[in-house]
Amino acid sequence: MKDVVMYTLSTCPWCRKTKKYFTDHNIPFKYVDYDLQPVQEQERIEQEMRKRGGPLSFPWVLIGDDLVVGWNPARYDELLALSKTSKR
Amino acid sequence: MNVEARKRSLRYFFAKIVEPLGYKFTPDDELAEFLLEQETHLEEAHGSPFCPCQGRTQNHEENMKIVCPCIPFHRDHFDYMKRCWCGLFVHKDVTDPDSLPQIPYADFRKAHDAGGSGEGR
Repeated sequence: MKDVVMYTLSTCPWCRKTKKYFTDHNIPFKYVDYDLQPVQEQERIEQEMRKRGGPLSFPWVLIGDDLVVGWNPARYDELLALSKTSKR
Repeated sequence: MNVEARKRSLRYFFAKIVEPLGYKFTPDDELAEFLLEQETHLEEAHGSPFCPCQGRTQNHEENMKIVCPCIPFHRDHFDYMKRCWCGLFVHKDVTDPDSLPQIPYADFRKAHDAGGSGEGR
């Protein structure tokens, strides 16, 4: 099973959907709500996100080494090799 | 602050701003209400109704580019998606907002640089 790590915002409905997707599929994941972190940690996360070439758009999901920015269940399915008929 | 009253005010002001840009509120009322509520809380905490789906940093000038409605600062990208990043606004011709995916900025740039116009996807 690939490691799943995500940066999210506590205010973002797409981030909530993303967390629910992984929960519903029983896929363990780690997440950090960027907006709830102290400034120093936010700056570290910002650097990491910008290094991967993007603005601070959430959700930001790493599945193994693959980055998915935004709510994209079809891409999650693909990277996790899940059936297309899996529940959303 | 009266959250419901502030949400109504934001709806009123935002509609006037986005209409001439070719956008309207998403027809997904539940989503719109949730996003407006988050923006009301963000405004109370941080002074402006920031986008609930984009991160604020220590750079004030950059933060101003994600104050709702932030369409003018991301026009090409949002026109390409036919929606703003959080989905509060969609192009006027959109009737099914669920059909519009969030397309990361990097992917939009790649398509743009390859000659994609942003229409006819």
